[in-house]
Amino acid sequence: MDLVSNLALGFQTALSPMALAFCLLGVTLGTLIGVLPGIGAMAAIAMLLPITYHVPPTEALIMLAGIYYGAQYGGSTASILLRLPGTPQAAVVTLDGYPMAQQGRAGVALFITTIASFFGSVVGVVLLAGFAPLLARGAMAFQAPEYFALMVLGLMAAALLTQGSALRGLIMVALGLSLGTVGTDLQTGTFRFVFGMPELADGIGLVAMAMGLFGVSEVIANAARGGAPVARTPRWREMIPTRADWRAALPAMGRGAGVGAGFGALPGTGSSIAAFVSYAVEKRVARDPSRFGRGAIQGVSAPEAANNAAAQTAFIPTLTLGIPGDAVLALMLGALIIHGIIPGPGLIEAQPALFWGLVASFVLGNLMLLVLNLPLIGVWISILRVPYRLLYPAILVFICIGVFSIRNSVFDIWVVLIFGAVGYGMRLLRFEPAPLLLGFILGPLAEQYLRRAMTVSRGDPMIFLERPISAGLLAVAALLLVWTLASAWRRAR
Amino acid sequence: MSDAPGRAPSLRRRLARPGVIGGVLALALGLWVMAEAAGYAMGSARRMGPGYFPTLLGGWMAAMGAALAGLSLWREAPADTDRADPRALLAVLSGIAAFALLLPRAGLVPAVAGLVVIAAQGSGLMRPGATLVLAGVLAILSWGIFRLGLGLPLPAFTGLG
Repeated sequence: MDLVSNLALGFQTALSPMALAFCLLGVTLGTLIGVLPGIGAMAAIAMLLPITYHVPPTEALIMLAGIYYGAQYGGSTASILLRLPGTPQAAVVTLDGYPMAQQGRAGVALFITTIASFFGSVVGVVLLAGFAPLLARGAMAFQAPEYFALMVLGLMAAALLTQGSALRGLIMVALGLSLGTVGTDLQTGTFRFVFGMPELADGIGLVAMAMGLFGVSEVIANAARGGAPVARTPRWREMIPTRADWRAALPAMGRGAGVGAGFGALPGTGSSIAAFVSYAVEKRVARDPSRFGRGAIQGVSAPEAANNAAAQTAFIPTLTLGIPGDAVLALMLGALIIHGIIPGPGLIEAQPALFWGLVASFVLGNLMLLVLNLPLIGVWISILRVPYRLLYPAILVFICIGVFSIRNSVFDIWVVLIFGAVGYGMRLLRFEPAPLLLGFILGPLAEQYLRRAMTVSRGDPMIFLERPISAGLLAVAALLLVWTLASAWRRAR
Repeated sequence: MSDAPGRAPSLRRRLARPGVIGGVLALALGLWVMAEAAGYAMGSARRMGPGYFPTLLGGWMAAMGAALAGLSLWREAPADTDRADPRALLAVLSGIAAFALLLPRAGLVPAVAGLVVIAAQGSGLMRPGATLVLAGVLAILSWGIFRLGLGLPLPAFTGLG
């Protein structure tokens, strides 16, 4: 099968009325939660996971993915208008987007970020369609040592490339891996960390934990936030960039998309890191770096292109290797597994309609987002006026009912409560929850691969270095560690 | 929590740094994981038992925690940290607890209303009337969406026949 017939299959899947409806629902919800500060893609997907159990897996995934990349579009709106990032990825956009708004150029900033988002997404989708099948074919030869090495690399990347300190990231990964061991040991049937609670025999519920860590802790942190100042909806004429704007913004979009695509494809690193790096790149290549922070249009277009490109290429490792691109995709991976689909190199061949339907839905979804974000910008701005004090009780209701409905378990609501408290405490102590979640999801797999590899090698850890692919992956992980330690050392001196 | 410039910060202020607290917590948790894992069969490198992997993880967590606590005691990079908001914390968590307690005993409508009324106190910005209206609207809405729409097994009221 060649690309054309694959894409034909994909569009056939994605253009079915049901798939289109779920795609539209996903990107609309994504934009909504992206626009609203205090609720991210993570919490939104966690909230909607239970509903997707009643939907076929392809449509479910199309909708969840739509929420994920739709949120990347919407995140910049509040960053520009209110200097409040709607999503963590959009935090960089506040740096130059808000000054642009103060200069009366909010319309231009909103227009350019939407175009940059679209451009970055298109680059990401093209790379996904082109490289994912190749990578999957290459990964067919992977065995336990390669998978374990790949997970080590993904976990290292997640731990080290967070915005906080590397040590904190490493602690979070270890904590996540430990939480992943709770439940019945698959090989011996031993209960680990169960403490006589039958509800824990199958492990801690993924959704309940994610909702607590990401949803509830976010609500607590934002609860006391007052109403947002009212922003005026810019008119069409105010949104059209000048020729000078285009000339500055377009090359920045290209660079941003390149940076974003690279970081997105790396397992374990998300789109927020891509946005930060691309902003740093723009500052480096600019002829006059002092304009950054005062409304430089490159400072909004590059990070927006980067985080959207990353959001698309993050599906490459997720769907071909079963290693999630970032924490949100880790949750989506969990959803796939619940639907009985095992992600890995065989996925594209075993489920061509799912993979190519998803790729085609990305194309359609991004076109929908273009419409949602430009002509309908006024709708989102008026939603920004809903005060958070009315919104967050509704978010909590959704979280509680959603978690309960997964397996009709009151126990899981207590899990949400506990992880809400833990997540808030982590926030106060500056620990990022994303590496924890990645560790939690990869943990059980990593342990199985480690045990299998060590059994094959009769207990000799050299097996990981004797096999070239696994040695290469571990070398990259080691380089990452050395590089992080070295730069931390330089900064400390 | 920024230290005064020029002078070396006092030990008490150093001990209250987020990195020191977090590091000590990670150290304690790591040691506890190791102790708990010691109760499971360890096995050998060739045939790892259920205790092997958690022991490695606990050791890793404890070591990183000790390193973080030590480094942060020495110096800590200034960063914006959220102020703790005990009112929001207490209100949101109590609201969730009320939901968990009321749902099996009283049904969906009382559970949602209880959650909303209690959790809404967290902002300190809600008037009683508005809170009741919000609770009523959300209770009816969630009954409509989840019971009528999705058909989840969530009766509006239980124990009332």
